[in-house]
Order: sequence, then structure tokens, then C-alpha cells
Amino acid sequence: MPTAKVNGQEVEFENGMTVLQVAELAGEEIPRFCYHERLSIAGNCRMCLVEVKPGPPKPQASCALPAMDGQEITTNSPKVKKAREGVMEFLLINHPLDCPICDQGGECDLQDQAMAYGRDGSRFAENKRAVEDKEMGPIIKTEMTRCIQCTRCVRFITEVAGSPQIGATGRGEDLEITTYLESAVTSELSGNVIDLCPVGALTSKPYAFQARPWELKKHEGIDVMDAMGSWIRIDTRGPDVMRVLPRQNDEINEEWLSDKSRYAIDGLRTQRLDTPYVRQKGKLKPATWDEAFAAIESQLSGADAKTIGAIAGDLNEVEGLKAALDLFRSLGVQNTDCREAGAVYGAPGAPRESYLFTCGFEGLEQADAVLIIGSNPRLEAPVLNARLRKMWLKGSAEIGLVGPVMDLTYGYDHLGDEAGALEDLAKGKGAFAKVLKAAKRPALIIGTGALSRPDAAAILNAISEIAQKYKVVREGWSGWNLMHTAAGRVGALDLGFVPGKGGMDTAKMLAAAKAGKLSTLFVLGADEAVADADLGESFVVYVGHHGDAGASKANVILPAAAYTEKPGMYVNMEGRVQAMGRCVFPKGEAKDDWAIFRALSERLGKTLPYDSLADLRARLIADHPTFGRLGYAPEPQGFDLTALASKASKISTKPLTGAVDNFYFTNAIARASQTMATCAKLQSEAQPTNANAKVTA
Amino acid sequence: MGVFSKIFTWWNGSTVGTSWTLMRRGRKVGQDEFGNTYFEARDAKDSYDGRKRRYVTYTGYAEPSKIPPEWHAWMHYITDVPPSEQPLARQPWEADHQPNFTGSGRAYRPKGAIVHDTGAQKQQDHYQAWVP
Amino acid sequence: MLADKDRIFLNLYGRQDWGLEGARKRGAYVNVKDMLDLGHEWVIDQIKASGLRGRGGAGFSTGLKWSFMPKEVKDRPHYLVVNADESEPGTCKDREIMRHDPHLLIEGCLVASFAMKAHACYIYIRGEYVYEREILESAIKEAYDAKLIGKNNVHGWDFDLYVHHGGGAYICGEETALLESLEGKKGQPRLKPPFPAGAGLYGCPTTVNNVESIAVVPTILRRGADWFAGFGRENNTGTKLYCLSGHINTPCNVEEAMSISMKDLLEHHGGGVRGGWGNLKAVIPGGSSVPLIPAEQCEDAIMDFDGLRDLRSGLGTAGVIVMDQSTDVVAAIARLSYFYKHESCGQCTPCREGTGWMWRVLERMVEGKAEMSEIDLLLDVAGQVEGHTICALGDAAAWPVQGLIRHFRHEIEERITKYRSGKAVHAVGASKTSVEVA
Repeated sequence: MPTAKVNGQEVEFENGMTVLQVAELAGEEIPRFCYHERLSIAGNCRMCLVEVKPGPPKPQASCALPAMDGQEITTNSPKVKKAREGVMEFLLINHPLDCPICDQGGECDLQDQAMAYGRDGSRFAENKRAVEDKEMGPIIKTEMTRCIQCTRCVRFITEVAGSPQIGATGRGEDLEITTYLESAVTSELSGNVIDLCPVGALTSKPYAFQARPWELKKHEGIDVMDAMGSWIRIDTRGPDVMRVLPRQNDEINEEWLSDKSRYAIDGLRTQRLDTPYVRQKGKLKPATWDEAFAAIESQLSGADAKTIGAIAGDLNEVEGLKAALDLFRSLGVQNTDCREAGAVYGAPGAPRESYLFTCGFEGLEQADAVLIIGSNPRLEAPVLNARLRKMWLKGSAEIGLVGPVMDLTYGYDHLGDEAGALEDLAKGKGAFAKVLKAAKRPALIIGTGALSRPDAAAILNAISEIAQKYKVVREGWSGWNLMHTAAGRVGALDLGFVPGKGGMDTAKMLAAAKAGKLSTLFVLGADEAVADADLGESFVVYVGHHGDAGASKANVILPAAAYTEKPGMYVNMEGRVQAMGRCVFPKGEAKDDWAIFRALSERLGKTLPYDSLADLRARLIADHPTFGRLGYAPEPQGFDLTALASKASKISTKPLTGAVDNFYFTNAIARASQTMATCAKLQSEAQPTNANAKVTA
Repeated sequence: MGVFSKIFTWWNGSTVGTSWTLMRRGRKVGQDEFGNTYFEARDAKDSYDGRKRRYVTYTGYAEPSKIPPEWHAWMHYITDVPPSEQPLARQPWEADHQPNFTGSGRAYRPKGAIVHDTGAQKQQDHYQAWVP
Repeated sequence: MLADKDRIFLNLYGRQDWGLEGARKRGAYVNVKDMLDLGHEWVIDQIKASGLRGRGGAGFSTGLKWSFMPKEVKDRPHYLVVNADESEPGTCKDREIMRHDPHLLIEGCLVASFAMKAHACYIYIRGEYVYEREILESAIKEAYDAKLIGKNNVHGWDFDLYVHHGGGAYICGEETALLESLEGKKGQPRLKPPFPAGAGLYGCPTTVNNVESIAVVPTILRRGADWFAGFGRENNTGTKLYCLSGHINTPCNVEEAMSISMKDLLEHHGGGVRGGWGNLKAVIPGGSSVPLIPAEQCEDAIMDFDGLRDLRSGLGTAGVIVMDQSTDVVAAIARLSYFYKHESCGQCTPCREGTGWMWRVLERMVEGKAEMSEIDLLLDVAGQVEGHTICALGDAAAWPVQGLIRHFRHEIEERITKYRSGKAVHAVGASKTSVEVA
């Protein structure tokens, strides 16, 4: 390995590293504004100047300079200090000193670095420049006078997000960062530019003037807005969740986060269920827990367990579902399901790998051919979509799509709208079949939208045929990937929250309810499942935290906690079990989900054998050892693809659409959020930008 | 003002020492509507800048913002003729002078201040509940 | 003095036909086939031997630059790009070549491209040069029609020549910014390394040369490297186009040998300084980007790269701007400072912020509305810009200011004193004597 000397200290480094990275290896901090590990190198802030020998006598920008064997790097000489002071002075002469009214105050790179590397006073006696603020939509608030033109936002939007809506106009002093024709930024990842901005030029609009960073309590959490299980930091003040920021995890979300994950949290303050309700004479009346339990008790007493059903929703944590499932099974209830109506994946007895994203998000980058079936990754998992774009930019993978044409921010081979294209592929027809055939590590990304429709069984057959033909699962590689959209789904499937022996699945339960054959239906936050369903005369018990579709159909409402309000474990689509703690307390009378079922079980005379969350978790891990391994994705593992085959009808010609129709309204929290509503409105008005949709049919 | 407070408190009216000095060296100039009395030194003997020193003794609590604007002008050598000799023309739009109430019960509190004069702090709603 | 027979640009003043016929009469396209037959290496060696240094300002050895190109064409084609974005204040030599002797440039492009194994060459011409572009395009058409260039031409080297019309930005004369602009992006300099010879236009090996550097190549090859190396001093060989402007009696472009003394150049070709040599105040010898030289140093200044470097200035593009005693030299530099503020691309911090700052301080100094300490401040700011930027525009903005303070500090100080004492300062003619009169 080559070595370099940093301030006299020898450091070994790998070829291809920059001087800045080598200095970091040696433990020397190099100030920087424009440089960011995950973006291209711009080298324009000039803050990272160091002296390099051999080299020209002037200081060099270390972020853009390749390190060489035997190089001597000096980061603490008077010359470097003076150069940094000079650059810092230049940055500050046109930067307003409005830190007291700036939202970035307290977490501002410019503030910190001015303290560490700047001069003590200002020598600038001229007028400062003022720049007109730009309109960037409901998420990004601009104060462009503060901009230091580092162009991180421009590079992020063009490179990572793939929707080039931010750019720079003008030159010299008049260089301005702006959106094209003052249009809002509509990318699903636009919130990340706020984190990237080293100053207060781009700040969060919903969070504007709400809090200072030092008055927030920071909690480590897991995102539930999609099934990726992104690492987040939840900042709270008192009983309020103030904001959500990404935490770095290279295996999951790198350091990005979708706008929904960041900004749906204002939905946690509206439409909350904070007290139990019982329907009396057709009207929901506030009640005590006791009255609510009494109503359920009288409904269940003497009822046939075959006419009782339970549907779990998208946001449920594992513990609550475990308590619920134990209760229902002890009551003899077999009609339990966590999947959307018509879903064919994760059927009872199916191997775990069959419903997982088996190659993992990081592993996906090794794939050399990716076939997306009935999914829109851009809406279903925006951060994963950024990874797909990264692969496309690198040119490491050919991407094919079966489903309607859409702007995925990268080019792909469009193989057809309908499932017929799958049959062609299975027969080896078409150009993409050759790509798949030649691929060493082919991957399928299968949307749950394709696997939850009347002809889903036939589609699954066709997909498994393709997987077998092209050896998607082979020695040392498994490319079978299910793209889930619900954070609670994989956890519920792992738990076995599927129909028991002779039990009904979601579709059958809803049909039975309509036909009046289901006496009682427990809806565990499953607003999406029951939203459009006619539940007939069934007695509906809704357990959840938001007054959404489920609550209005309920006979009894039991208020539960939202994801920030309870400790819980979630399993992401990779099969990675992750846990988070409680950030704030449930609202009003609401309780943790598991506690509700524990209390109900006592009332029904079937007391669950655990009194604390720790007992419950111990029991959970004993029953399902997979939950004992926190934070790790399972090793990519193959399984018997033939097990997926089933007798099926013909495939219909309906296009294979994705599971997510409106990105901003996928769950009860997002639907209650004002910010998401504004974003959705803007999105529906915006002209679709197809700058990147390079479709090659 | 009793003898007790005259001797032992320095924040009510003038102290004994001030009264003594004013009696010895001062010349009473006038009085404003609040009863504050204004004095001028007889000569410029102990002046800092060659001008005769000017004094005020307050009635009650010693609070400089109780001095009305016309006397304020005289105190600060903006005018030399005291308003008792040449009163300022009163304009129809002029409000009565009020001392600065900061720190007192009559202090101004903007809307939304934590201690508002409507009483205790209003219970803030941290969330909005669902209503069926 | 350069003899007429040794001139390369025979139609510099446009008195003859610029077209192909006229050019042929002046000797263009003679023996080109024979030169190419001697091989790529021969051309580069000849140029190296001639000691030709880049005529665009930096003065880097042209032959050496060419030899940085990969020896063999691999998966990516090679390109030659000719920098005709001549925007340096005080410089107007490339324009004369393009409008009066375009075939010399075309011929040079062919030979240079051959030397670097490039089959395509782009000429990036300044946005304001509309007439020059028209001439150049007609000349290229003539050359294509005569099969002098193009596919299967008479010279046996497939070669295509394209003219790209710029948008009129000074920064696009910087080689990497020029490449960005040529690719259709915003004209902002790239980080180096990688250098254009490794990854230039569209990521392919590219050499960017000045118009004059390319246009002299065929003549050097025809008349021999020794002939060219015979002019001027060692390391500063050849002939050069000088652009004389300012307070001289006959401003002109003239081709002269390198290392001519400045006094000879001004007296002989410029018709002398207005009002006599004694009336000289300062000279900017190489276009606006180099520090000025005060009159006392002009006496024995030698017009070449090394001679002017010894005077802490530079030859640059050899755009000689002469200023006599009537010049308000502070205002002149302030105007140049405004130019750099206006033309800074805004990419990197020191140049974006520093140029504006320097200009504003200088504007106040013109009137004397400044503090004495601000002179040192200005010098310090200029030092903070110099050498800290991506491209050389930061240096170019700092040097004139540094030159001004180095040589005319007393003048700024006098203005500040005068302004403070309340006396009016003459906007023009604020030299030592006239201020005292005022």
C-alpha cells in the first residue's frame, strides 16, 4: 500500500484516495463546504486547502487532489492557516450575520468552521450582497442571501435524486442557485438538500422557526413510511415530534431519506385518537377503557370463533401483533391476515426468503441485470430507487421494467405494460432475455402490486418460471426480491399473522363481512384494507392511532400509539429486524398496542402470559428466533422456487401497476399530514418531467 | 413619606444627604405635574463641564422615566428656560406622560407572551384529536 | 527589427486577398503533404526544437504540450481545440489572423492535428467576433472545396474542422472552461488534474492551443526550426504579434522578433509615446492580466517571457497598453478590476467574492475615500485570491492590483490625504504634479 506523510505522520492509504481522505485517515480534520462523500467533487469552496510536497508552491484543494505515494501533506502550517482564514473571510463577506434568526443556527457548518478556522473580526466595509429568495415548494424554505454557492444541492438533485430541478444561473458575484422558472422541487428526495446545505440557505419549511437544535431531545428510530426501515433520528421537544432526520447506514439508506419519512410527522399531531369510543345508537361516543372493553366482551361472549376475524395494518410493530395474535389464537380465531386483499406472497408455510428482498439493498448493487416487475421503486422506496440510479449511472447493471412507463430517474428497457411480457421472458423471447441470460447476478424486483390482484397466482407462477429459467437464485447469489411498501408487513409475516388452519385471508374476510357471515372484525390499523370495503353488519373493533377510514367504520375504537410513541421492533423488506424506543408518550388515553391486547385478554379470561414488554419480547424470541438477531440482514439465501408454483387461472391483460398510487398518502399518518397534502397537490399540478425517462422499448 | 423612609430608604424621594446639599447649594426651579421637584445649583463650582448642575427629587419612588419630556429637555441642557417659566405648547394629539412600566404589573405584554395579562398561560394544544 | 522576409503573417493588415488564392500566393499549403509524410514525431520534434512557447498568455512550450498527448489512439479519439476566444483587454492579434489570414490557421490546425493524431479540430471563436467567424467559415469552406481538408483530402490525413461560436464570456478562454462550454455546459473551469491531455473534450485526450501558436506552425516547419529559433533570446525564441494600444502615436498590431526592447517597440512601431518618452507613466506589457511596469523600468524592459518576469510582470498575450502622464492609473486599474469582477465565473470562493471586494475598495480609492490601512488590506485581499482558485482568473484579477500598489502606492496615499484634507481631487490627471497644482 502506498504511504504518505501527514504533518510528519506516516499513513498508509489505498490507491485512488484523495489528499483530504488521506488526511482524515491520519486524524487531521480538514474543513470543507462543497465536498461531500456521496456527491461528485466540485472543489469550488476552496476551504480544504493544504500544502502538498512535491507540488506547486501554492496551497492545493485537497478534496480534488489524488494522493500519491510518498507525498508530504501539511495541514497545520501558517500558510494553510492563512489560506483558510482568507477563504473563510471571503465566504463571510457576503454572508448575512443573521444567525440569531436563522434556522441553521447551532447546527451550521459555516458557524462552526468560522469559529475554528476563521479570523476574529471583519475587514469588509462595503455593502453586502442580497439575493432574492426562490420558491422551492412546500418542503424547502430558501434564504438565498445566505447561500455560499457550494452547489451541493445542485449536485444532489442532478446526481442522486435524478430530477435536475435546481441549478445555478449568473456568474461571478451574481451566481445564484435557483429552480428552473421558479418551479417547485418535486423530487421525493428533495428534503435531503436541506441536510446537505452547509448554511441556512435551504432550510426546512414545515420546521421553520419551530425549535433550536439544542432544545431538542434526539432519539434514534426506524422509519415506517416505507418498508426499507431507514435509520432516522427523531427530534422531540416536550410531547411533540419536531422533526425527523436520517441517520447514516450504508446498508440501508446511506444518508438519504424520503420526503414522506421526514415530513409526514405533522400528521402525528392531527386526527389523533386519544380516547376510546363506543358506538351507541349509530353514533360514536367517547367512553372509558372499561366501557370499551365491556362492549367487546359482550360482543365476543358466545360468538363462534369462525366468525371472528382480524386484519393487521401497514404500520404495526411486532410486539403488538404478537400479543394480538396470541390472544386471537387462544380464542380459537384462525381468520387472521396482515396482507392486502388478494395477496399471494407469504402464504402460510411459504419459505421466509420468498417474501424478502433477499439480496439486500447493498447487495443489489452487485447485480448486473435487474428486472422490475409491477413496481414503481421511485414511489415505493425512493431511497432504494436512488441506489438503482447509482447503479445505472455507474453502468453496472441493465435494468428492465414490466409495467406502465414512468419516470424512474434512470433509463430502462420497457418490456411491456402487461404480464404477457413475463410469459415472453419465460420463453426466452426479446432482447432483455439475452441480458438476463448473460447476467452473472440477475435480480428481480417484484412489486407487491403485481402479487395482490385476482390473477396474482398466475403472475407468481410466471415470475417463478423466469426466476428458474435465468437462475435468479444460484450458488452464492439470490436475486429474488419482493418490494414491500408496508413497514409492518414482513414482521407480521415472520410472526405468522396469516390465516391459521382453515382460516380466511383478507379478501375472504371482507367478502364474509359483506355477506353478513362475519360477526366481529378486528382492524389493527388496517385502514387501507377496509377503506373501500363494505363491512355489512359486522361489529368492527378498530385499534389504531389515527381517525382514518377504519375508525369511522368502527363500533369500538381502542386508541393506540403511533410509531414514535411506543417501543417496537420492525422488520424491513430485507428481513432485517430493527428496534426503536419510545420518543414521546401516546396521546391522551391511548396505550401501547401490546398493552391493549394484554388488558383485553385479561378481560376476556384468556390472560396472556406476559406482564411487561421485556417478558413479551422474551416470549417472542423464544417462539420466533429470527427476532433475536437485531440489526442484521439475513445472508442472501436461496430457496426452492418450485414451491411457489400453484394452480392458477389465466393472466389478465391489466397493466402491472405498482402498489403505490399516491406517494404522499400511503398511510394514516401521511394522510393526516398537512405538508403531505400540499406536496400531493403540487405533484398533481406539476407537469411530469421526463428528462430521464430514456425508454428503450 | 415618613421620617423612617426618609432616613433609611434611598429609593423614595431624596435622601437626607441630597436634601441637605440642595438646601445648601440649590435653587428650586419648579415642579411638574407628578410633583417631582427640580433644582439648579447656585453656581458652577462643582460642575463637570462649566454648566450649573441640575437636580430632580422625586415624589415617591425614584424612577427617572417619571420626568415628563419638557423637564427631560431641561434636565439634559436641551433648553435653558425651564418649562415652569415657559411651558411647552400642548398639542391636541399629545398623550399624558407615563413612566416606563417595565417590571411592574402594568408592563406591556405582547400577544402570545407567556405571562399574559388575561391570566395564566393558556393550555397549548399539542395535538388535535379526531372527532367522529 | 524583423525583416519583411522573416514575417509569418504576410497579410496582417488585410491589404491582400484573405481567400485561398491569396493565401496560396503567400505560400500557404506548400509542401504540407511532404511535411506530413515525415511523420507525427517529426512535427512535434521540430516544434520542440523551434522553442515555440504558447502565445495565449501562459507561455508553456507548445511542443512539450503536444507530446503529453497519448502516443497511440486507443478507444477514445484525440481532439485539437483552438482557443480563439480572444477576450483579454488590450489584445487583438488572433482577430487579425482569423480575418486576414485564415488559411494559415486552417493549415496549422491540419498540421497540429496530424502531429497529435487527431482527426477533428474545433475552433472556439469569441462570441463578439461575428465578422471573423464568417471569414473563417468561408475560408474553411474553400479549403473543403479544394479538398485541402476533410475526408480523403490531398494531404492524406482525414481531418474535419469545426467552428464553434461562443457566447462572449471571458472565462471561456480558460482552456477547461472552454471545453465545458464546447460540450454545451456552463462555462466554468474544471479541476485539474485530470489535464485535458488525459481527459478533455468529452473525456477524450485533447490539446487546447491559442490561434497564434497554431497559425505559426506550418511556417516553422517550412522554414525550419532553426530559422524560428534564431529570433530572440534563448527560451524566448521566434516572432510574436504585439498589440500596441493606448497613449502612443500609432497604435497597431505588429509582428516582431521576441526579446525586442520595449522602447524600440514603442518608438519604432508605436510612433513613440504621446508627448515624448518622458511623458510615459506606465505600461501594461501583456494584456490586462499582468502587473503594470512604471516608466523608469520601461527604459530597458525586454519584451519576452523571462525579461518581463524579472520585472515581476509578464509577457502574457503581448497586448501592450501604454499610459502617459495624463492617465489616472488608479482609475485604470479599478476599471480592470471591474472587468474581472464582471467576468468571474463565480464557481470558487476567493475569485467570486474577492474580485468584487477589490473592485469596490479600488473604486473608493479613485476618489480617495478610503483609509490608509485599506491599501495594505487590498494587498492582503489580492494575496488571498492569488493562487487559491481553480483557474488562473483569480491570479489575473489579483496581479494588476498588486502591480498598482507596488508601483503607485504613493499616488493612492496622496489621494486619501487630499480627500481627508477636504481638497478636491481631479478625477483625471491625478499624478504627483497635478495634485499639487490642485
